[in-house]
Amino acid sequence: MSQTVADPPRSGPPQDPHVSEVAHTPVWVTVTRWVLIALTIGVLAYAAQQAIEAGAWLIVIVVAFIAMSVLVVYSTRRFIPLKYLLPGLILLLLFQMWPIVYTAATAFTNYGDGHTLSKEEAISAIQAQSVRQDPDAPRYGMSVAVPEGATVQNGELSLLLTVPPAEDAGELEEGAEEGIGAAELGENVTADGFQLFVGTEEGLEPLAAEGVEVRGNGTIGAAPGYRVLNLMEANQRAQEVQDFAVPVGEDGAAVKPATTSQAFVGQPTISYDEENDVMVTAEGKRYVAQDGNFVPEDGQGAVLPAGWTENVGFDNFLTIFTDPTFRGGFLKIFLWNLAFPLLSVASTFILGMLLALLFNDPRLKGKGIYRSLLILPYALPIFVTGLVWAAMFNQQFGLINEVTGLNVNWLGDPWAARAALLITNLWLGFPYMFLITTGALQSIPNDVKEAAAVDGAGPVRTLVSVTMPLLLVAVGPLLVASFAFNFNNFTLIYLVTKGGPFDSGNSLVGNTDLLINFAYRLALESGQPNIGLASAVSIVIFMLVGAISYIGFRQSAALEEVN
Amino acid sequence: MKRTTGAVAIASAAALLLSACGDTADTADEPTTAAEDDAAAEDDTATETEDAAAGDDAAATSEGAAPAASDGTSLVIWADDLRAAALEDVAATFEEETGVPVTLQVVANENLREQFKDSVGAGAGPDIAVGAHDWLGELVQNNVVAPVQLSSDLAGQFTPESVEAFTYEGQTYGVPYSVESLALIRNTALAPELPASMEALVETGQQLVADGEAELVMAQELGQEGNAYSMYPYLAAYGGGIFPVLEEGGFDSTEVIIDSEETVQGGEKIAWLAEEEALSVSIDASNAIPQFVEESTAFLVSGPWAIQQITEAGIDYEITSMPDFEDGGETTPFLGVQGFYVSAESQNPQIAQTFVQEYVSRADVQVSLYEAGDRPPALVEAYDQVSQGNTDIEAWGQAAEGGTPMPNIPQMNAVWGPLGKATADIATGDDPAERLATAQSEVEAAL
Repeated sequence: MSQTVADPPRSGPPQDPHVSEVAHTPVWVTVTRWVLIALTIGVLAYAAQQAIEAGAWLIVIVVAFIAMSVLVVYSTRRFIPLKYLLPGLILLLLFQMWPIVYTAATAFTNYGDGHTLSKEEAISAIQAQSVRQDPDAPRYGMSVAVPEGATVQNGELSLLLTVPPAEDAGELEEGAEEGIGAAELGENVTADGFQLFVGTEEGLEPLAAEGVEVRGNGTIGAAPGYRVLNLMEANQRAQEVQDFAVPVGEDGAAVKPATTSQAFVGQPTISYDEENDVMVTAEGKRYVAQDGNFVPEDGQGAVLPAGWTENVGFDNFLTIFTDPTFRGGFLKIFLWNLAFPLLSVASTFILGMLLALLFNDPRLKGKGIYRSLLILPYALPIFVTGLVWAAMFNQQFGLINEVTGLNVNWLGDPWAARAALLITNLWLGFPYMFLITTGALQSIPNDVKEAAAVDGAGPVRTLVSVTMPLLLVAVGPLLVASFAFNFNNFTLIYLVTKGGPFDSGNSLVGNTDLLINFAYRLALESGQPNIGLASAVSIVIFMLVGAISYIGFRQSAALEEVN
Repeated sequence: MKRTTGAVAIASAAALLLSACGDTADTADEPTTAAEDDAAAEDDTATETEDAAAGDDAAATSEGAAPAASDGTSLVIWADDLRAAALEDVAATFEEETGVPVTLQVVANENLREQFKDSVGAGAGPDIAVGAHDWLGELVQNNVVAPVQLSSDLAGQFTPESVEAFTYEGQTYGVPYSVESLALIRNTALAPELPASMEALVETGQQLVADGEAELVMAQELGQEGNAYSMYPYLAAYGGGIFPVLEEGGFDSTEVIIDSEETVQGGEKIAWLAEEEALSVSIDASNAIPQFVEESTAFLVSGPWAIQQITEAGIDYEITSMPDFEDGGETTPFLGVQGFYVSAESQNPQIAQTFVQEYVSRADVQVSLYEAGDRPPALVEAYDQVSQGNTDIEAWGQAAEGGTPMPNIPQMNAVWGPLGKATADIATGDDPAERLATAQSEVEAAL
């Protein structure tokens, strides 16, 4: 931003930038620029419109902010450096900073399985889930209707209900035509024996049978004074229909829609007492809000299923550093998490470098072929090779034990499993090291080596004192990057050992787990996936990788200064 | 490696962005796409229903489908590829009879549970998802599924275990369509005689290995990390298991009985089987069925999912219930039930309920779903129909008979891991009583 302050004096007479702009810029450039700006704003406005419809206010704000920045930066000549930086800056903020902020925010909540809802949602979910069907009550045939002349969208809803004739009334039907309609059952019964009702939010009323048409599936197709909605029309108001309840009886029982053509009698068995913030069951058992769940006040029985997200402050971080399983596990995992990338980088680099030195020898023929063959492991997708290696390490059927005649329990013994991972990673990683060292070796001028030879240095001395230091300058930062990559090499561990083997009695902390695998297990695979806790672990990992990378890059920068 | 880093970075950034603002972005997209689909489908549906109305009056009016154009309505169903294929006819029937267009979306089986949970949690997702009953507790806990109020008549037409499987805390949340369990699959060329007991099975298997006709006594998934589902028949053989079975059906999840005497007795059988080389941690999901297909073993303990590979290989086989132990231990596999869930966030709740209650429960639909998955239907009428003269289905049905569905409480997620690892350790020589006691305390801590 400091440039923007310095800009105006350079970019022409500050009192009237527009004049100078028009004078110096061809018309078509200006036109194109404004068309592009207009297009961008148009697209953003459309996105904002969508977001408003969805009620996503955060997105609306972000979009508006981007639109304003675009307008401000590109419409004038004031912010020339920002014109180049803005796209990158926006992407950086959206794709890098936002996830970090979001993860950090999640780390202070209990968000996770069973705690994904807001408290209001949880309360209504518990009530909706508690609706029990009255097994003795009849199942009604149901049609949704609005008063005749009203529109589908706004008409007051009512349910037209039918109760089919009782089964033993089947014989009655034929012989009793004179009986049914008038005397015996009242005027809300059709000639076929269907009892008809109208259900509103107030209650259930009989519906006069005259003029009512009952369809083959036992629902009302037409009734005087009502407009029966068809499936599609009724579905326009599906949410209202879903919440519709026709009260019957005194204890909260109601006729509710079950499908598009059936209704059932049921009642919620749990209600929410807003004043005391407790849920009360029909039997009077009370559940109090505690730690994002409704738990039984008397301590007996299970918590109510749906819970909600709430802030837990530093609890997740406290768990990481105080819970004994965690603390012990974390330290063990951390040590392996340091050893694995260090050993991986060292082993792959040494093998890669030796091969590169070998293939760099001018006397070797067919280097092109060898080199392309060596790149193969690097070119194959790890999702294939990882699983193949896992199968090869199988104790009983695996290729490795079969070929070597050993009987090592590769994936069942902690140390063997660690070795298996290092072997796999060596195979996967050396081509990369081979590639970068080959490149670096070719850029080392021959005259320094010749000078060393003139000074009387043998091949080993030349390698150690001349080639290596020059090589490390070039590949040093790449080694640090490779370390950082392997520090979080989730895929390899997941595909080959899944973090196992596990010590008995501790299925949370695996012997070959990296921190990231541990976080994944916590977040997604453990009994009750706990995203909040996993976010906290991620933040700790983030800090660790940041610190290590910082130290690493400073070290490699130090190397540079030597030369 | 660097290339991978870049890819991972982009993928994770995209994933994070999606998860961060995807919830709202999705809801914004969903109605638009649905509306577009409908606009395209509108004409078809309108003509279809008109034709139906003209041709067959009863069919058109029975579900109240007047020849009206659809308006922003489409029933979205998520299922894996096999089931989606089987549902195509049902969807067509439903469309024809109700005029509601159905969109079948294929979601890979292993992602379905997670995606269903996440997308409904974000206010989007399908109206209906096809899945296993043991997801239920987790789905209820996160308010992903809506109750399905089955009439008692209808519920009575299914096998009692299958309806019970979809019941959580007294509420039913799904309509079952198939039942599966572990059974013994035997290569009849290698072992013509049906072993009368596990002991006899081991003996026959060992004899075949000694004769050089087979390489393994038996193949059953276990793996380095163990497998509590696969080992449960043994653990529960003497009345033990994870939770005590209630007399009225279902489990009492307040008590854990992993370290009970009965479970330990079952655990000792696992140790014995491993000692006799019938079980091995080297056999896991990736190689159990292939071992049988390659005729390396005469016996495979697996489920209906294994049959396709076996028939493709042209092996003569017979399915029977898992044999019991000579000392009276009755192997008791878990039942897995597949069924239809209705999303709690469905935009078409009554239509979705109509589909699961009035269509999925039809015998012809259950039969066509059976044809896609080779698992016995949960609807008694459909089961009777397909098991006629089909020995496979009869055998699967018998294997499932009287079994207990896997517990559907969300806490089961905390049981599978520790108990599975215990079974692997027992198979590699740990003392069953001690190891199950550790598992017990770990599970209790997690519950």
